[in-house]
Amino acid sequence: MPLPYGVRSVPPMTRETVVRLDGVRKEYGETVALDGVSLEIRPGEAVAVMGPSGCGKSTLLNMVAGLDRPTAGTIEVHGERIDEMNETRLAMFRRHHLGMIFQFFNLLDDLPALDNVALAAQLTGSKAGPARRRALELLDELGIADRRNIYPAALSGGERQRVAVARALMNRPALLLADEPTGALDSKAGEQVMDLLLDLNQIGQTLLIVTHDERLAHRCASRLIEMSDGRIARESVLEKL
Amino acid sequence: MRAVWRAARAAVRRRKLQTFLIGLVVLLCSATTVVSLALLDASSAPFDRAFAAKHGAHAVAAFDPARVTETQLTSATAGVTATAGPFGQVVVKPETDSGVIRGTPLTVVGRADPGGPVDQLDVWHGRWPSGPGEIVLAFTPDPDFELGPLASTTEVVTGGVTLKVVGFAESINNSADGWVTPAQVAALHPTGLQMLYRFAGDVSTRDAVNARLAGVTTGLPGEALIAGEPYLTVKEKAAEDLGVYLPLLGTFGVLGLLVAVLIVGNVVSGAVISGFRHIGVLKAVGFTPRQVVAVYLLMVSVPAVAGAVPGAVIGALGGQSLIGEAFRGFGFGDTQVRWWVWLTALLGVPAIVLIAAMLPARRAHRLSAAEAISAGSAQRRGRALRIQRALSGSRLPRPVSLGLGLPFARPGRTALTMAALVLGVVTVTFSAGLGTTLTRVGVIDNQVSGDIGVRGLSPIFGTPTTRTDTQVEELLRGLPGTARVGVFATTELSVVGSSEPLLVNFTRGDVAELGYRAQLLGGHWMSAPDEVVAPSKVLLERGLKVGDRITVDAGGRHTTFRVVGETVRGPSGAPGLIAQWPALTTTVADPHLQPSDYFYQVQLQPGNDLDNYAEAVKAADSGLMAWNNTGTDSFSIIVAGFSATLGVLLALVAALGVLNTVALNVLERRRDLGMLKSIGMTPRQVVAMMVTSMGALGLLGGLLGLPLGILTHRVVIPMVSDAAHTRLPESVIAVWTPAVVVLLILSGVAIAVLGALLPARSAARLTIAQVLHNE
Repeated sequence: MPLPYGVRSVPPMTRETVVRLDGVRKEYGETVALDGVSLEIRPGEAVAVMGPSGCGKSTLLNMVAGLDRPTAGTIEVHGERIDEMNETRLAMFRRHHLGMIFQFFNLLDDLPALDNVALAAQLTGSKAGPARRRALELLDELGIADRRNIYPAALSGGERQRVAVARALMNRPALLLADEPTGALDSKAGEQVMDLLLDLNQIGQTLLIVTHDERLAHRCASRLIEMSDGRIARESVLEKL
Repeated sequence: MRAVWRAARAAVRRRKLQTFLIGLVVLLCSATTVVSLALLDASSAPFDRAFAAKHGAHAVAAFDPARVTETQLTSATAGVTATAGPFGQVVVKPETDSGVIRGTPLTVVGRADPGGPVDQLDVWHGRWPSGPGEIVLAFTPDPDFELGPLASTTEVVTGGVTLKVVGFAESINNSADGWVTPAQVAALHPTGLQMLYRFAGDVSTRDAVNARLAGVTTGLPGEALIAGEPYLTVKEKAAEDLGVYLPLLGTFGVLGLLVAVLIVGNVVSGAVISGFRHIGVLKAVGFTPRQVVAVYLLMVSVPAVAGAVPGAVIGALGGQSLIGEAFRGFGFGDTQVRWWVWLTALLGVPAIVLIAAMLPARRAHRLSAAEAISAGSAQRRGRALRIQRALSGSRLPRPVSLGLGLPFARPGRTALTMAALVLGVVTVTFSAGLGTTLTRVGVIDNQVSGDIGVRGLSPIFGTPTTRTDTQVEELLRGLPGTARVGVFATTELSVVGSSEPLLVNFTRGDVAELGYRAQLLGGHWMSAPDEVVAPSKVLLERGLKVGDRITVDAGGRHTTFRVVGETVRGPSGAPGLIAQWPALTTTVADPHLQPSDYFYQVQLQPGNDLDNYAEAVKAADSGLMAWNNTGTDSFSIIVAGFSATLGVLLALVAALGVLNTVALNVLERRRDLGMLKSIGMTPRQVVAMMVTSMGALGLLGGLLGLPLGILTHRVVIPMVSDAAHTRLPESVIAVWTPAVVVLLILSGVAIAVLGALLPARSAARLTIAQVLHNE
């Protein structure tokens, strides 16, 4: 019986860690956003990062995603030093190994749901037909296949975030990064997204979630990292709700 | 008002790139507008303008000082609005050669100064004579003064008097060959008194001017008037010479204006539309709709004014140079870019900016704050979405298909960008066609010039050759490197039934093979002594056609020729008939030709150095002049110059329009670009997407602009040749080879890619974290 969410072919985690940060520091002019952060995430783990605004949690996520570069320290993801990669290699790395979910979904307004999902595969060179078939499969597993031809503007917040999740899973990423995935959703839609992330983790998807939402952290994550002033203030293992 | 000013100032500071772009576009468009308007202005009645500016004389009259006094002349003012004179006038024959003075008789007039109420002279080099023994010579301004023969023209010696050349001047009326002080002309014993008249009333025809002249001289003693020349003689000559430039200047002028208006409209309206979200925010914090419009008008006015002033100055300098180059040598003095051209560009371009900003700003004026904010997100609907959908299912690489869909998101902006691209391609196509046409005309000219020109020395310049024309021909044929030799003897003959004499070139040798036969437009080459071939100019001016007969009179002997062919050009010099050599003796009983009356054209075998050959001819016979007869005429150089300048300028302006469009698209789609990069779009793919979006427009612009450019060329070139009283063969007009057509279509792509590359690269460098964080 196939696993849900099209992640049946997630690469087996042979490495001990999916993410390794060592002494990562990030400065924006005079401001220190990250101050010597070291962190490891093992395969299959779901890690939540919490903290007050400006504590550096989004910066941490950007570092792991290769969206921003550290001022000092090293970042290893899926066995590769991404802090040493140029922009093109980073883009290739992201498309093959990372999936991202944003607070505001970030879907292309002029593509329907199906094509938004298929886009991630098409950028790797997949032909439109196979990419759309896999996108439909994912939308079906996420329960919104009937909304495949609807444009983002006409979808509800929950539906949009499901489309974004489907897009993030399109290339079977080793690590799924979520930046406030429930921040723009009502409580019902937020619950659905939490269920979705939990399911994904249960079938082996490694997750790194940045959130203000304690319920999300406790529901989906197995480890909680609390940040303050650019540093990891506390780490704790969570009992799932 | 303070709030409006603060908000506008903040917007200018925040949108540095957009402000810079508006300023740059306005600068280039102001420059283009000044150049275009200056060209259009210059092409509109240039002689009349120059004539009015210089207070040209409607009639230049010469009176007999033995029959009329100076007082009588100054008192005769019937129907006159202004007079100058009487000036003493004498014809002198220079006794020594100096620079351009080669024994030609000179009409010298005594004038105290170059100004005055009529025929104001332009002293373009040196100064006006201040005392006896000095002369200013009449010549058109020469940019290479120091290099040419004018610089070595230092004195005129006549009748034992040496006149030092102290300057060079130009008269719109060509009223004299030289000017001295009144005291000096008195010493030269003047034979005439020159009067310059400007008349009231109708002076549009020769008869009208002659009637006015008759009116003013009515009270004067009989036969006092020796000669009177209406200004129309000079005007008609100028019209003929200038006519070839006018269609070209007009075409480039109109194209330049259209591109400038389109680009400014596109850039400014785009800037306002992209600021709709900002407009919504302003409304939300309490700005009234009128204040919001004011903020946006102020915001675009700052760079508009900052760009318009230097743009107008640059345009005026460029326009001045182009017009000066085009009109140099027509006797119009220093042709200026007129004040209204400056003013129109200085006020007009910012006015277009304000209008272009006003239209979308008024829409923002009507929208509620919420609507304005949502309008700023560029929501796509309908056809654009269907096209994107279709493209996403295509086999094209995804960045390419995404790029192809981008132009449909903003159809208005796309249409304006497209129109500028089309006009850019029209200009490039027209310029390229014009260049090729000029090159091919140059090839024809060079063919008929022969590589080398040879003529017997005139006794003025040295000892003429003692060889007969046949011996000279034999000498030339015997020199190493000679391929063909053509011999011409040119005589001016009267034409029965016409007051205008006609030149006839009697030819022998390899004249047909030199290239004259190859450029036949119709008919055939001569095969009998009574047959002639005529250049188009001769046929058009005399109302003849192939097959007609023309009878010439040489000392009472009549000879009838039949025109059997029409050529583009005759031999160098004034156009005339081309006849066979045997007709010379049957037409002219006793030609009395001197060695310098024979002209020899020599074509060399490939690989021979023309200058060395010319030296070899002079070494073989020092009584012969020989020169390299190839080269490009000044018309071709001037036209190619301004064609290339305008072509490049308008292509750059069109590219700038594309740059603006892509910059706005990047600005509006920062979020999308950030997302695409976050899911793995590489920088190269981002560049490919943005460049494709404009490359496709460029291709379409090329496909639409090419036929329009070809059509413009097809219409304008015959207008130029008509003005020059000539006809051009189809090979000179049909210059469009498949390779050229493909290149010209691609020129649209090149303009688009050139414009898109810079903002596309900046899009590729967008920091994803920053973009998505801003969200």
